[in-house]
Formats: sequence, structure tokens, C-alpha cells
Amino acid sequence: MSSSSIIQVRDLAVEFRTDEGTVNAVKKISFDIPRGKTVGLVGESGSGKSVTSLAVMRLIPNPPGRVTNGQIIYNGKDLLKQTESEMRSIRGANISMIFQEPMTSLNPVFTVGDQISETLMLHQKMSKQAAWDKALDLLTQVGIPNPKERIKSYPHEMSGGQRQRVMIAMAIACEPDVLIADEPTTALDVTIQKQILDLLADLQKKYQMSILFITHDLGVIADIADEVVVMYRGDIVEKGDTATIFTKPQHPYTKGLLACRPSLDRNPRRLPVVSDFMTPDGKEKSFNVEILKQQKQTRAVSDNQPVLLQIENVKKHFPLQKGFFGGVKSWVKAVDDVSLNVRKGRTLGLVGESGCGKTTLGRTILRLVEPTSGKIIYNGTDITTLDRESMRAMRRKMQIIFQDPYASLNPRMTVGAALMEPMIIHGLGANRQERLEMAGQLMKKVGLDNNMLNRYPHEFSGGQRQRICIARALAVKPEFIICDESVSALDVSIQAQILNLLLDLQDEMGLTYVFISHDLAVVKFISDEVAVMYNGKVVEMNDAVGIYENPQHEYTKKLLSAIPKGMPKHLLT
Amino acid sequence: MVSIANKGRSLWADAVLRLRRDPLAMVCFTIIALYLLMSLLCATGVIFTDYNVTDNAQAYQPPSAEHWMGTDLFGRDVMARAAHGTITSLIVGFFGAALAVAIGTILGALAGYFGGKIDDLIVWLYTTVDTIPYILLVVAFSFVMGPGLNTLCLAIGLTSWIRFCRVIRSEFMKHREREYVQGATALGAGHLRRIFIHILPNTFHLVLINFSLGFVTAIKSEVILSYLGMGVAPGTPSWGMMISDAKLELFREVWWGLAAATLFMFFLVLAFTLFNDALRDALDPKLKNR
Repeated sequence: MSSSSIIQVRDLAVEFRTDEGTVNAVKKISFDIPRGKTVGLVGESGSGKSVTSLAVMRLIPNPPGRVTNGQIIYNGKDLLKQTESEMRSIRGANISMIFQEPMTSLNPVFTVGDQISETLMLHQKMSKQAAWDKALDLLTQVGIPNPKERIKSYPHEMSGGQRQRVMIAMAIACEPDVLIADEPTTALDVTIQKQILDLLADLQKKYQMSILFITHDLGVIADIADEVVVMYRGDIVEKGDTATIFTKPQHPYTKGLLACRPSLDRNPRRLPVVSDFMTPDGKEKSFNVEILKQQKQTRAVSDNQPVLLQIENVKKHFPLQKGFFGGVKSWVKAVDDVSLNVRKGRTLGLVGESGCGKTTLGRTILRLVEPTSGKIIYNGTDITTLDRESMRAMRRKMQIIFQDPYASLNPRMTVGAALMEPMIIHGLGANRQERLEMAGQLMKKVGLDNNMLNRYPHEFSGGQRQRICIARALAVKPEFIICDESVSALDVSIQAQILNLLLDLQDEMGLTYVFISHDLAVVKFISDEVAVMYNGKVVEMNDAVGIYENPQHEYTKKLLSAIPKGMPKHLLT
Repeated sequence: MVSIANKGRSLWADAVLRLRRDPLAMVCFTIIALYLLMSLLCATGVIFTDYNVTDNAQAYQPPSAEHWMGTDLFGRDVMARAAHGTITSLIVGFFGAALAVAIGTILGALAGYFGGKIDDLIVWLYTTVDTIPYILLVVAFSFVMGPGLNTLCLAIGLTSWIRFCRVIRSEFMKHREREYVQGATALGAGHLRRIFIHILPNTFHLVLINFSLGFVTAIKSEVILSYLGMGVAPGTPSWGMMISDAKLELFREVWWGLAAATLFMFFLVLAFTLFNDALRDALDPKLKNR
């Protein structure tokens, strides 16, 4: 047994029993977590990466899950053979874990100080006062500003990034040997993501911890992982040290993962996707990435197209505090005096952090939210003045694709019904048969099988659902589509497919997009012009290349520097 | 031509499947079905036809081979009367619950969906109704409208909708902001389409559970009201009446009337309550892995 590894996973196999039969989530995998090093575990949703980490913590829900084979050796002990009470003393104290969603992993009715000190009192039998002092020290270490005050805060009083810092403080409270981080930055903005990654790297050095970092995005771990393990469909397809994986990937899946991330210094019209490198059964396909690298933006649509959408001094203020007699005392200025133009057939990217007002602006444009003041002129008509009937007719031309493909489809409606509904509303298609025909064509257009029309949304994967949402938006033959974080909830590999699809549809149908995202790399890839929003205002606007090459505003610069480079620092020249 | 062959399974079909795999739910379902069958056969005069045959010579006979659960004051077979009481209970349970759920669902949906002034009005209405003790309200109804089966259904329906209204209202408030509803708005769907085609099917599992809860409540209310002498017309077989009669009978050590009514009620209410739990588990989409 090598002493350099703190955890050795040997032939681990996990299966889940479902209504449809047994699913082999993890198929006899083996890997090591070296002492004091970071291992990145990379793979798409459903690849078995989270299940692997849960197996290490012995947290697989049983039933339906079951570890069927293998050993997980920690300090000479097989964790799979420990009793539940032995495991309880290991969890949190020796091996701890942080999760993706910091809001749901913290208890909302206790202050953060209470929650951190509880862990310490439980595992290290500290006195209440000692635990509280230690909690204060931990909050300082994880970089919470003004920790003396914030220790008495409740989770909802903190931002997403701060909550993740609190989670990290709890996880390192007992100075564990191993920290398992399951997509800890996926729910966060890029700028916050960078801070959290830096923090994890610092803490690792300080405490000599081992970290198992789970992510779907290879680019994120470039700087912090020492070794990378790539999982695909329950199997490890490649493992090795980070530099080798990034410079000489062997398996086609790894190559695809590396290539599909939009990058700031390349300007391809299409993104490579995993299926360019690999056949569905895992065989390599010959694909020359250089073609994509050389390919320049070849847009048929020039920048002197007529203006399709004109936003003039739009404001949306939400009442924050109401007085006793209903008068409003203070306001949140979600959108504060924004003016923008979108030209026909082009894409305007709207980028900014959570809470900057970009989503509110998007919904205001469609009047899903009524603007407080200002004009929204679409093709010469100020739509803020339209009555309900005329607005309904206008909705045919303007559509929206939301962020979460799970939430934006009605779970009780078949896909066919969802696609035909807008046709019924707007009187498209003469009868059911004709509409069914049109729905089938839409499915094909977005790359899905047209005999899936009778299925329900829960039978599709996230990427497929987003395709259905796109098909639904296209059902009314719109001219203009708002994409509100439409790829943010998807894995990078799926994200590339959807971005390509959106571009193809734009070329084919002459669509105009407003593309809202917190990820500048994605926005730069898909947009012709980019507007940067900060605190409800547009602080900078330029064409996509100009924003990147010549950022003016402080915030834009910060955004740019926070984007993962997709390559370890020392390999960048 | 688009093929229909590839049929998907709806969340409802999933729920039915889960329910059918739950042995306890199936046992309860069978018991409820047997009660239904029994009341049907009673109502059509196939079994227990002697429920109204009086014979003073046979008054207060203890359980025997001839009368399994003995006889009452008028010499009528207690078991036959208890079986016929099922009809009353099921009618009151069904119509009382249906009325309550209908009112609760419609008002709750309107309040939750529109919010604002409409919400204020409906919330005012149910908080006001809620301040009056439930039993007092039902009693008041019965006094005004005179005793009878219709009165019972109406009285129970018009007074027990409040908690259903609350549940549906909060569910509509939650769903109103969901992206699929916003998506429907963006596609041009009007209020009615959003309420009835989009949100209602997504809250319908609660309507179903509410109905099943309301059923039990209505059955119990009927018994209480009959006990208080404000139930069905005298002479109509009813468990509440039988329990009410037992007040005097117990002094004479006649326990079988009470026992029969309680037993019949016990199994029906128990089956319904357990079925309810199983139904909730089967319908809760949160248990379904996405």
C-alpha cells in the first residue's frame, strides 16, 4: 500500500435500481487521491462523478443505490466496511464535503456562527465559547468581510459567494485530510467562481489537505488540479497529471471536452462538440481542430442592418419597503435608465453578474414585467402602449428561451402538446394533423426525433429539453428571440451543441437575438455586439471583439480576468 | 406523417404505477371498493333487504346466528342497518367533499393566480368564515334548511372548503412565477389558458388529495351531526343515528348497535386515510427523480 495516497478507490461499482431496471452508475473504477494534492474528477451529468464522491462518503441513498463491488481505502481502512457510527465520526472530521448549492446546504433558521460551531462542538468536543472563537477565526480565513458582524448573520442575508465561503469554513473546521468539492462553483458567477477557486487553493496549501474537485467543466480546474480523472458513462476514460491531460489528451472524449469551451482568444463560427471527436460508442473520429481555429466569423449579416428593437431610457423599479398607508418608502432600481439598439439579424449580448438587472431587462422587453418608464420600440411600434390583444399578436414575433429547461416546460404536457399550444393560440395550422406535422418538423429542426412528440418532458435530458424549449419558441415563427441564460444550466459539452444550434437557426431563419449571460466567453462567442450591465445600468457597449481587446470599464476588466483560461497557467505563453 | 407509436408515460401514469406497486394502497383500495359495492347492492335491494323490517318481539336481541350483530329497539337487524348506513356516509362523503373541493379550488386558484385585490377579497372571505366555529356553522345550516341528506352535503361542503382554498392558493402563487407559466405568457397564452391548462394540472394532485381528505372529514361530520340530532331524517339508516341511539342503549347493556356502527366506520375511515397517505406518496413529484 502506497503511503503517498490518502484515499485509494479500487474497482468501485455502484448500481441504482429504478422502475426501468438496473443502472450501472459506476463501473469498477479505480483511482487514487494523493496526500496534499488536488484531483479533478471531470465528466458530464450522469457520468457517475457525483455518485463516486457520495460512495467515498458512504452517502449513497439505499435504496435505490447500492455499492456492489470494490474498496475505498482511507488510512488503511476500507470505508465500505466501516459501521455507520464509525463513518459518522469520519464524515466532517476526516473527510468533509461541500456542495453545489450553498443556499440549500445551509440551515436557514440558524446563524452561520451557530452552524460552524455546532460542527466543532460535535466532532472536537469544544466548549461553546471556544467553538465560537474558532468559527470567527474560520470566517476570517475564508475571507468573509467584517466577520465579527457577519458571524451572527443568517444564510439568506449573505450572497451566493459568501454562503459558499461559509460552507467551506464548515468543511475545513475540523481540519479534514480530504475535502470533496462537488461542483462548488457551478451555481456562481464567473467573478465569484475565481475567488472561490483561489480560496480553495490557498486553504489547501495551508492545511495540506487533499481535494477531490468534481466538475463538468475541464476549464475550471486547469489552475487548481494536480491530477485529472475523466469519467464518461460510469467509466474512467482517462487519468493523468493536469499538464498532460491538457496538452496531450488521449481519449476522444477528453479532446472534445477541451475543445468545446468557448474561448476568448479564438473566433470560430461554430464550436467543436464531443461528437466531432467521438462516435456514440466511444470510438475516435478524425477531426481537425485547426479548421475551427482558422475559421473566422463569416457572418452574412452586416452591421448596417435596420434597427429592429430600440430600447429608450427603460427603467424598472421594484418597491422594497412600503409605508403603513401603502406609500412606497424605497425602491430597488433593477433596470435604471437603459437605452440599447438591436439590429435585424444580429445578436446583442447582455452580460453582467447575478442581480445586475439583465434578466429583468429581458423580461421587460417582452412585457412579462411592465416597465416603470421608458419606451420599447419594436419595428417602429412602441409596445409599452399596446393593449392586451395587440400585445398578444406581437408575442408571435418576440420569443424567449429560459435558463432552466427543467422549469420552463409544463411537466404535465407532452412535448407535442407544448409545441402545438402556441400554434393554437395564434391560429397557425388548419387542423390538428397539420399542427402535428409542423411540430414534427420543429423537432427535426432542433435535432430531435419527431416520433418523440408523445413523450413528457421528464423523459428527456437537460440538453434535449433545452432543444424542445427552442422548438417551442420557433413554433410561432418569431423574428426576435431573447435567450435568458439559455445555456448556463447545461454542461459545457451540451452548451456547445446548443450554441451551435442557435447560430445555425439564426443563419437559416434570419433571427435576431438578445443573448443574456453571466459568462463573457459565451457571450463573446455568440454575439455581434456586447453590452455590459452593472447595478441596473449599461456601463459599456462595443462590438464583441472590441469589448475583449479594449475593455474600458473596471467591471468589464474584472469579468475578463475571471474567466477560466481553460489551460493551466504555467502552460499559457 | 408523424408516428404516434412512441408513446411516453405521463406523470399521472407514473403515479398510478407507483400506487399499484404499493401493497397497502391496494388493500385499502380494495376495502373502499368493497364498501362501494356493498352500498350499491344495498341500494338496489340485492342484499340486506330486511333493514327496515320491524318486529317488536325481537327487540334488543344480542348477536346470534340469525342476527350477527343483534337487533335494535324495533327488532331491526343491526348489521343490515349498518350496511345501509354506508350509503348515507358515501353520499355525504362524496358530495360534501366534491362541493368543498370545488369551492376551495376555484377560489384558491383565483386568489393565488391574480393576487392583489382579488386575493385580498378571498382571503378576507375565508378568514371571516374561519372565525366562526365549524360545528356551529354546520348546525346553523341544518337548522335553517331542515334536516336531510341534501342539507348535510351542502352544510359540510359550504363550511369545509377553507383549508383546501389555502393549499391551492399557495400552490398557485408558487406556480404563477414558474418559468413554464412565464413561457406560456410569452407565447401569448391568456389568463384562462394559464390557469386551467397550465397551472391547474400541476396542482391537481393536491386537489385529489384534498378530495380524499375531505371525504373522511365529511363522513365524520355526518356522524357527529346525526349524533347531535341534526343529520339525516329519522328512520334513514345512518351510523351517526346508531351511535346517537347508543346513548340510551348502553344503560341496558345493549352494546352491539354502537359496536356495529363503529366497526363499519372504522374500516372505511382507516382505509381512506391510509390510501390517502399512499396517494400523496405516489403523486408527490418531488420523490420522482428528474
